[in-house]
Amino acid sequence: MVDISITVNDKLYKISINENMRLIDVLRDELGLIGTKEGCGEGECGACTVIMDGEIVNSCLVMGFQADGSSIVTIEGLEREGDLHPVQRAYIEAGAVQCGFCIPGMVLSTKALLDKNPNPSDEEIREGISGNLCRCTGYNKMLEATKKAMEYIKGE
Amino acid sequence: MDIKKVYNSKSVEEVIDILGEYGEKAKVIAGGTDIVIALNNNAIEPELLIDISKLEELKGIKVDKEFITIGSATTFTEIVESEIIDNNLYGLHKACKMVGSPQIRNKGTIGGNIANGSPAADSVPPLIALGGIVTLKSIEGTREVLLEDYYYNPIKEKELLLNIKFERPKDNQILTFAKLGLRKALAISRLTLSSFIEFDDNNTISFIRVASGALAKFPMREKELEDYLLGKILEKEIIEGAIEALRNSMDERLKGRSTLPYKRIAISTILREILEEALAFEEGVKAW
Repeated sequence: MVDISITVNDKLYKISINENMRLIDVLRDELGLIGTKEGCGEGECGACTVIMDGEIVNSCLVMGFQADGSSIVTIEGLEREGDLHPVQRAYIEAGAVQCGFCIPGMVLSTKALLDKNPNPSDEEIREGISGNLCRCTGYNKMLEATKKAMEYIKGE
Repeated sequence: MDIKKVYNSKSVEEVIDILGEYGEKAKVIAGGTDIVIALNNNAIEPELLIDISKLEELKGIKVDKEFITIGSATTFTEIVESEIIDNNLYGLHKACKMVGSPQIRNKGTIGGNIANGSPAADSVPPLIALGGIVTLKSIEGTREVLLEDYYYNPIKEKELLLNIKFERPKDNQILTFAKLGLRKALAISRLTLSSFIEFDDNNTISFIRVASGALAKFPMREKELEDYLLGKILEKEIIEGAIEALRNSMDERLKGRSTLPYKRIAISTILREILEEALAFEEGVKAW
């Protein structure tokens, strides 16, 4: 076992984890944050995307002990006092959510993009979510949702 | 996975000592984008994992009078965002930008791309074209090896890849890169080419290195193509001739491979792209 300190959704956890655990295992199995999904387990699909120290990463490709000292945002960390995050609201309104499996990762990639670049071009939006595969929508709805979210965030 | 001990290492010296003591039982991890998959599939079964991803000594891009040095734990995103890796080093920027996906580029490192040894490693052909030199360190000492020779004498159990360096390009030298993948993001390269070309005052190619990826067991120089292009002016017929020269090398090397007929055709677009980008630079037009 190895001791790590990890901040997840603004809460500090000091936990002992098995050396074999990946970050996604820590989040799901140790902390019970099952919003983060495991799709391929090979970094191809982006379903396990979380924001680590401000940047999106595939949590299936980070070892748990490597996250010691890091700050992580998962999909559970987006709600604000019971309300949805503007990106989440925009996704629902644009009909960008179908089966939903890719959505936690997709929403976090969109949030991370807008945190860094509040006015992305269509191409930059597509690039920003290019590491998240969706087999339902064809991505146009996500593009639409991201543009809606941009407006919501600007209006805040 | 059956990892018994993990280290968030504090210094290069510490990593070298641990590698020296445990040898094959220990594995170095940086971005994890290749090794975690191998661990998860039990393709490798180390007892110890040493994380080097936060080691400042191995991170970042340094410029001195003669060389540009990239630390092995520098991520693709850091390279893409660097102002140093731009202009006549644009080919390296382009290659790093085309790696995997934003998530992979945020974690994956240049040292890992080299050490993992994939024939399709995107950043390696531009680094070979630049004449890159890899520095490796172990308790027995430090060695430097040309990246184009590295694959014949790759990283050993007790070694740590410290950095890759190359000479600063001159104003009349340009590095270009092109990749063929099956889709834009998240695609393993089917074919990559990178050229480093110097033009003299008469627009003649006075120096050239070309490197390919996914055309052999590992990325390599394309000497037949280089010999053909050296001393020439990049005109239409010359580019056509260059395609034939590269096809000759491919025919010999990939004889009997099912992918050869496809790659023979595909290579023309990729080679034309890197040469036309070089030509545009030479004519003062930014191709990007």
